[in-house]
Amino acid sequence: MNGLRRTSLGPPEPAPHQEALQARFARRIAGALSRRSDDLPHDIAERLRVARLHAVDRARELRKLGAAPAVHLQSGGTLTMSGPSWWLRLASLAPLVLLLVGLLFIQRSYVEQQIRAAAEIDAAILTDDLPPQAYSDPGFTEFLKSPRSVE
Amino acid sequence: MATDHELSDFLRSVERRAFKRTAFAVRDDEAALDIVQDSMIRLAEKYADRPAAELPLLFQRILSNATMDWFRRQRVRNAVVQNFSEFESDAEGGEFDLLETLQLVDDTTRTESAADSVGRVQILLAIEEEVSQLPQRQREAFLLRYWEELDVAETAAVMGCSEGSVKTHCSRAVHALAKALKAKGITP
Repeated sequence: MNGLRRTSLGPPEPAPHQEALQARFARRIAGALSRRSDDLPHDIAERLRVARLHAVDRARELRKLGAAPAVHLQSGGTLTMSGPSWWLRLASLAPLVLLLVGLLFIQRSYVEQQIRAAAEIDAAILTDDLPPQAYSDPGFTEFLKSPRSVE
Repeated sequence: MATDHELSDFLRSVERRAFKRTAFAVRDDEAALDIVQDSMIRLAEKYADRPAAELPLLFQRILSNATMDWFRRQRVRNAVVQNFSEFESDAEGGEFDLLETLQLVDDTTRTESAADSVGRVQILLAIEEEVSQLPQRQREAFLLRYWEELDVAETAAVMGCSEGSVKTHCSRAVHALAKALKAKGITP
């Protein structure tokens, strides 16, 4: 191999100089590694090339998917093309809207059912024969005195 | 956003170094190829919309993580705990002379005849061998810093350690390499 040449340095090097030497040496090693990596076996280089092409194709596919208009299948079975963004957002809100409408409907029907039940009870009381004990009930007496009972 | 052309150019520029760096770590060409391929796909799938300038750091992170994942899977598979720091040495290499080694480097890289080409290949092989023998963290720091040409902060980000640790790893790696090469009478 190449002959070794000894070099006397004398006193220790200051830190910045040592760092510069270190960096120079490291870059030469890196250069040697680069020269080695240029001589990769053909099959490995080829597989790396194929992997790179595959990765770029994948990125291209994903970009196309992101940019292409979305295809929606409607209930009638027809396909329609539309922009992906705000239709999708609107569609994602639909279940929430349906839920709110359903809750409102349930609450309203529950209230109506309660009103109907109360009305039926009132009607039954008013159309039924009045027992004599009712007149001794202070609440019923008060009810008879109230203006609503006259109506 | 990086174009297909920019992504392709970037991957072409790093693929060989990525393979060698991974092969140094896992010591298995097939596994290294798989790791590099997975890293390329991950970069393309998750970060292709990022600016081209961000790709180097992102790719190095992905590659390092993929390599660590490979080691984890191997550990599980073989039920063997691999201690990455098993080759760590406390020696600071105080006895060798870096300038002297650098002088030798200068001498041997300056001139090369056809007759030296076989010797040159042997030297490059020996350098590669010495780099592969470095402790894992030292080698990672050294290669990221000087081969991938990341700065100290970027290297620290990829390795998940402090900038001080990067400097220490790099310094130890350089000293270890210089000492080993000098002992062999081999220069890059």
